[in-house]
Amino acid sequence: MNDMRIADRKVSTETAKMTARGVQVYYGENHALKDVDVDILSGTVTAFIGPSGCGKSTFLRCLNRMNDTVASARVLGEIKLDGENIYDKRVDPVTLRARVGMVFQKPNPFPKSIYENVAYGPRIHGLTRNKAELDEVVEMSLKRAALWNEVKDRLDAPGTGLSGGQQQRLCIARAVATSPEVLLMDEPCSALDPIATAQVEELIDELRSQFSVVIVTHSMQQAARVSQRTAFFHLGHLVEYGETGQIFTNPKDPRTESYITGRIG
Amino acid sequence: MSVGLITLIVLGLAVLGFIYGRHRALSAVEGDARHLHSLPSYYGWSVFLFTAVPSLLLMCAWLILQPSIIENRVAALVPEADIAAAGSLNLVMADVRRIAGGIDAMAKEAGLDEAGIDALRADLSDIRGRLAEVGVALGSNVGEPILNAAREFRSLNASMRMAMAVAVIVAAVAGLVFAALRINPALRARNLVEQFVLVLLVSCSMIAVATTVGIIVSLVFESWHFFQLYPAKDFLFSTTWNPKFGGGSSLGIWPLLWGTLYVSFISLIVAAPIGLLAAIYLSEYATPKVRATVKPLLEVLAGIPSIVYGLFALITVGPLLRDWIAVPAGLGDSSSSVMTAGLVMGIMLIPYVSSLSDDIINAVPQAMRDGSFGLGATHSETIKRVVLPAALPGIVGAILLAASRAIGETMIVVMGAGAAAKLSLNPFEAMTTVTVKIVSQLTGDTEFASPETLVAFALGLTLFCFTLALNVLALVIVRKYREQYE
Repeated sequence: MNDMRIADRKVSTETAKMTARGVQVYYGENHALKDVDVDILSGTVTAFIGPSGCGKSTFLRCLNRMNDTVASARVLGEIKLDGENIYDKRVDPVTLRARVGMVFQKPNPFPKSIYENVAYGPRIHGLTRNKAELDEVVEMSLKRAALWNEVKDRLDAPGTGLSGGQQQRLCIARAVATSPEVLLMDEPCSALDPIATAQVEELIDELRSQFSVVIVTHSMQQAARVSQRTAFFHLGHLVEYGETGQIFTNPKDPRTESYITGRIG
Repeated sequence: MSVGLITLIVLGLAVLGFIYGRHRALSAVEGDARHLHSLPSYYGWSVFLFTAVPSLLLMCAWLILQPSIIENRVAALVPEADIAAAGSLNLVMADVRRIAGGIDAMAKEAGLDEAGIDALRADLSDIRGRLAEVGVALGSNVGEPILNAAREFRSLNASMRMAMAVAVIVAAVAGLVFAALRINPALRARNLVEQFVLVLLVSCSMIAVATTVGIIVSLVFESWHFFQLYPAKDFLFSTTWNPKFGGGSSLGIWPLLWGTLYVSFISLIVAAPIGLLAAIYLSEYATPKVRATVKPLLEVLAGIPSIVYGLFALITVGPLLRDWIAVPAGLGDSSSSVMTAGLVMGIMLIPYVSSLSDDIINAVPQAMRDGSFGLGATHSETIKRVVLPAALPGIVGAILLAASRAIGETMIVVMGAGAAAKLSLNPFEAMTTVTVKIVSQLTGDTEFASPETLVAFALGLTLFCFTLALNVLALVIVRKYREQYE
């Protein structure tokens, strides 16, 4: 699969941005995630792969406490961001989510103008002092999401009027505008066509220079193309976690091998 | 033969037709239903429908036309002198119908046979007295021509009834035979039945449209009559409302319109914020358990009849406002006031606003909320900046629906705001609304010829124009501020 990859395998740093230890998640009676330990490195794209219902999205949603919005969900264990436990009582989940941004599976632009969509985060967090600064942030974010050239003449047009791929890049720009430290992406390309997917993948690789990126994907090619680290989940367990090249070419666990060769899934 | 009996006979024939049609279809393919185009019951239904529908339609048409045909024939028998004496043909015909009914009653109670009825003589037998005995009181003695007319009315009625029974049953049998003979395995009975259903659906929707059009046309027509008797300029621009049934009334709409708008405005000031905030709590913050109890409770408010709210306004709210606010503040000493009616009506409208808004807020996709939470927005920021803007068109719709309800409300206004037509800014004074005046102009003995009664139609038309304009406004607002989340 090496010919398909666009990402540089070398991981620049070995410092962990987020560390998870012994994470358990219950949805009511259902034990959805069992004892997961993962280190998310800074400046790295980490991919979570695994069959449907294996817990990878659940784990992703633990990293910015989005599971708090699900009434029946219960999270045990410890997840640290820069050494601070994010499930500590002193941590405000709202502030946490500003630091750990999220892009969803289905593009979900707000029913507002393109400009207002991107300006949403900076506005609610008071990141800019005046209109000129806000304009600058919006432009920067749209440029980073590789959408600026397509929308610069129609920033007042509704965000929902864009094509699917553009909408997803708008959502990425929206997440980037709050300048998070970690960006979580839950199957960001599953609703996109191959061209839009390629654009978003390229974008993910560029974003790595500013943030740690965690991406959940069903496409193993995508994981191989964009990530430096890959975690394989199966039935709520973290089966294997390591360098992407190693996971795909020389998996240690037989289940990982079966999955990437298409025998289970 | 009575209408009920004829209907039963037709339905009986139709059921027989169903059984026969089904049997005939099955026997045509020797019991193997797979060779039929449609399921066997569809063949049965096709015969059933051909038997019942045309004949029952014929009966309806006959029943609608019969009275006017009979009236025309009988009216020819009434001499001019009687019409002049009674005042109008309508009154004479009313007498004729009552006498005919009285004779029927006599035939039943006193055992009068047909020969006896023919032998009745206006000058000899005491018709008025004998009719009074069976409960038909007449204003004057019955003349021979009127009695004859009543006799003719009876016999025509009876013979037409008979003719109708025969015609309807013949039609049913003809339909049955026609449909039964058509049955063969290739007949598309299912399509036929479905076409009948389609016609049924279309005619039901036509009825809704036609009645609406009919109501508007009659409003316009009667208002036209009114404007011929009373100058439109005075109606639209005069600021006094002072109907006198003796004539010389001034019928300016402004005091009434002002009352309507004032009361509706106050009620919306109460209902819109409370209803909307309640809806936000229920849909966004309340736990499922709280929601499951509070929502039905709130909806109970919508089930209380408006007359009960009226009592509440009259007995509790009115005196309370007068004693604690109006009198101390020197704003008046009337217990009926615009404020009373507006407050109580506002309470009545809360569930309309809250229940509809709640459904609309719930319909905003969870993805919108997730997107906002994912950017680090708090719950209330999410509601203010994402959920409410997305739900806005629906919320505006809910509030305007409540507004139309407020404009049309009558009972609470009668009991809460009084019936005095006044143009005043003081909310603690008694005022009245268009609907209340429509009621008061039409109650009692009225004749639809004077401007004082016909004005009700003009008022109704004005009200209709108002609610129509409100709906159009709502559409415009919704189009303009719509935030689509598809």
